[in-house]
Amino acid sequence: MGLLDSEAGKRRLLSVEIPIIERYNDGRDPAYRIQVVRVGTTLVLRYRLKPVHNAYQLETRLVSSYPSVPPETRVLTPLRHCPHLLEGQTICLWRQGSTRMTSRWDPSRFTSVFAIQAAWRWLACYEVWHETGEWPLPEAK
Amino acid sequence: MACIIQVGVGSGGMAVLDLIIRDPQVTDVTLIEPDRFEMDNVDRHLIGHSGVGRAKVELAAEWVREHRPGIRMRTVSTSLSADGCAGSIDELADSADIGICAVDNETAKYAWDELMRRHAKPWTLGEVLSGGIGGFVHWFAPGNACYGCVAGYLQRAISIDQGKAPDYSQPDGGMAETKIPASRAAISTIASLHALVTLGLLTHRTGYAPGFTSLLFSLEPVANVFPLAFKPYRFQIPRAPDCLICGTGGLHAEEDVDVAIHDALARLGQA
Repeated sequence: MGLLDSEAGKRRLLSVEIPIIERYNDGRDPAYRIQVVRVGTTLVLRYRLKPVHNAYQLETRLVSSYPSVPPETRVLTPLRHCPHLLEGQTICLWRQGSTRMTSRWDPSRFTSVFAIQAAWRWLACYEVWHETGEWPLPEAK
Repeated sequence: MACIIQVGVGSGGMAVLDLIIRDPQVTDVTLIEPDRFEMDNVDRHLIGHSGVGRAKVELAAEWVREHRPGIRMRTVSTSLSADGCAGSIDELADSADIGICAVDNETAKYAWDELMRRHAKPWTLGEVLSGGIGGFVHWFAPGNACYGCVAGYLQRAISIDQGKAPDYSQPDGGMAETKIPASRAAISTIASLHALVTLGLLTHRTGYAPGFTSLLFSLEPVANVFPLAFKPYRFQIPRAPDCLICGTGGLHAEEDVDVAIHDALARLGQA
């Protein structure tokens, strides 16, 4: 289902994604709110996260086949090359077939804000790795 | 007289189709499949070497005409999400009595689920597990659990595939669920169960009650997964009240949806 071009997608957007983004933004410092921009049939969520000492600019793309396809999150702030970082500073968050529940994207339970929370956790791991050279969470299996 | 619409005529889909069309109540068949028949399909497919390079959907239609000449055939050689095809696929789905899903990527399964729910059609799905160690057959009826409810419930815990991560640089690309090829025998076994469930649902319609909504059948013993081969596991999976796929309707009138989205994006664009 297309998020912006199918009836089911539009209803998901209106009744799930937009309310939860507005709840995330509610009362939050304006610099850390999620901004949503439409680019063709993709929705781009732009936001800033500060997991520990450093602030990072990110964007999460909800492509037309979202939510059956997981959101794609990129860190716009330059990073050192590290584990779990894909081309274009896209962060590796989901692993299809994983036996760990939160490592698999589940469109019936996860939302775009869950993806942002997962990005926050990824960045916290990155900061630990930056200091210690070790990724603090186990590989998704 | 019954009209079926099927997506996917790969190795599993073709085996299901062959069994379904032998039933005299089936009079109309619509097939949807975008792929071509490749050399590496030959070992597990009903079609032989002569089909290599041709569209799978054409080969499947020829097979049906050969074995049931009286059946009315329609074919769609694009994917479910192809631009410009939504209208014609919608019409075909609306005229069908039952849907059959025999694809192995999650995006297509969700798209099919959405199509079937939109037209209030019952449908079935067959899934062969990686390596052919067993497989699932699911059946869905309007108002019951959607594919999202079922996938969330089962949590895809049974997998022996340790393949690489999906390619996030191509998020629209298909993500094959079965990485370790299954044997033709394993595919045919699950396809036979899939066909039986489909014909049962077609015959009994709203009265269909086999005692499960999802059937898992083991074909090989696998440590920590299946203690025994040839053992059925029956799941009665209810609709999940908090499912984000099928539990999201009814908040806005149809004509208000576009306006509401426009207003919300304007609000959030300035956040």
